[in-house]
Amino acid sequence: METQRKFIVPIGPQHPALKEPGHFQFTVDGEIVTDASVRLGYVHRGIEKGAENRNWTQNLYLFERICGICSHVHATALAIGVERLAGVQAPPRAQAIRILMAELERIHSHLLWLGVAAHEGGFDTLFMYSWRDREIVMDLLESLSGNRVNYSVNLIGGVKFDVEDKHRDAILRGLDTLEERTRHYLNVVTTDRTFLARTRGVGTMSRNQAELFGTVGPTARASGVARDVRVDAPYEAYTLFPVNLVTDEGGDLMARFVVRTKELFESYRLIREILDHLPSGELTVRVPRKIPAGETVSRVEAPRGELFYFIKSNGGEKPERIKVRTPSLCNWASVMQVAVGHKLADMPMILSGIDPCFSCNDRMVLINRGSSSQVWSWDELRRYGIEYYKKL
Amino acid sequence: MDSEELIQTAMELLVPWALKVNRPEGNRLDVFVEPHHLKEAVKALVETQWGYFSALTGLDQPPAEDGATEGHIEALYHFCRGPVVLSIRTSVPYSNPVIESICDVIPSATLYERELMEMFGVVMPGTPSTDRLLLADDWPEGVYPLRKSFTGLGEQKLEETDGNAA
Repeated sequence: METQRKFIVPIGPQHPALKEPGHFQFTVDGEIVTDASVRLGYVHRGIEKGAENRNWTQNLYLFERICGICSHVHATALAIGVERLAGVQAPPRAQAIRILMAELERIHSHLLWLGVAAHEGGFDTLFMYSWRDREIVMDLLESLSGNRVNYSVNLIGGVKFDVEDKHRDAILRGLDTLEERTRHYLNVVTTDRTFLARTRGVGTMSRNQAELFGTVGPTARASGVARDVRVDAPYEAYTLFPVNLVTDEGGDLMARFVVRTKELFESYRLIREILDHLPSGELTVRVPRKIPAGETVSRVEAPRGELFYFIKSNGGEKPERIKVRTPSLCNWASVMQVAVGHKLADMPMILSGIDPCFSCNDRMVLINRGSSSQVWSWDELRRYGIEYYKKL
Repeated sequence: MDSEELIQTAMELLVPWALKVNRPEGNRLDVFVEPHHLKEAVKALVETQWGYFSALTGLDQPPAEDGATEGHIEALYHFCRGPVVLSIRTSVPYSNPVIESICDVIPSATLYERELMEMFGVVMPGTPSTDRLLLADDWPEGVYPLRKSFTGLGEQKLEETDGNAA
């Protein structure tokens, strides 16, 4: 009887509450995951194909809608690439506003992740606190752009709005509160014993693995890989406002918490510096409707890591091809390899540890060969994980 | 190493297989190789730890309207290191769209290969999974949406697939 206890656990694809659907299949031997696979595409909207039927300006709006969390970096990656093909550069003030918004976006994204990851581990107090604090940065983004998501900052050739003194004061006040709160969070994720029981030594990825799998962003940096597009290939105003790289040698979930939390401090510092030395001048330059033929690669550092755009123009008003490789795709590939050998109870935390742009996982069918099958929801898996660790 | 040195190192590594080398932008290097040399070229990069595999782009070059030239799919394997983007490019004809999988060199390439296969109809021997990654389960076989010739499934096909799903 014991030898027959092999389960295949499909999770997903629907989840009504979170952001995006995905489907995972874990083969388990008792508690231990022995194989993992992923199926994406449930929200595939054919944007790359759609781009070929729209002009460059329309595409800016289309690509901003790839992701609701990091919409601004998508539009920025596209705008930078198209400007390069057109042989123009956004004015210095516009470049600074672009990275200012990118850092505000990173803050909101990291705080959002902190809450989600805490929730998956059963730490709902931390979830509520971090999302409450996230509202500070959401209000700032809204006061600057008029929108909570899809800020629509960029034009091809610049930005749409200026940062005025009243914004500056509000941002500085908000950052002071956030910095104090972040110090508290750093303390929690590095000292709370129940928290550490779920994160320390869990989901460890060595530096070599992270290098080989092409891991990007905070997930890579938490394995000691010094990889950040803002540092490796500074774009826009990052040449004026250099970023200090945050890495950790731990490679485990705890390191991923530490790296993201410390990156918040770096974003606060950068934003203060940008506000202190905001270049003056115009916000836009003129860009022709038809973009000269050519190919370019545009890379930016999204909150989850390197965002890669390959843009090809045939000299017309519409692109020949735009290829987008989002950071989550790189990190999926790595997490599916790392999952093997871990306990099923750790899966919720390991999956959310890469800050995936996913959310799925409504159904889960437990198949016991030769006996009855059972249907679980993601919520039940989450509770299973929490209960499992309570018993230890 | 500055970007010039990085590019020189990559060029020296890939010279044995390079059909053509191009410098489209200051930080970019394009190396064109034969499809059957692609894996060896990738291996050379991985063995010397030149950067990381960042993305795989497919490009469709449809046949000439008068049929004088055959349609091709070009695959671009982008590797990044510091500020440098190296693209190993290879082109295969519609009639024999075969590129060997690189998954035994770079295991995480499986997701990118699944995308290239279903979107462009490239055949990749040795790839660990040919399951759909992004397209729907009931998407018709042999229809590759990122080829330029694809302009939509059409109403009849949509009805058919709806019927199949039910």
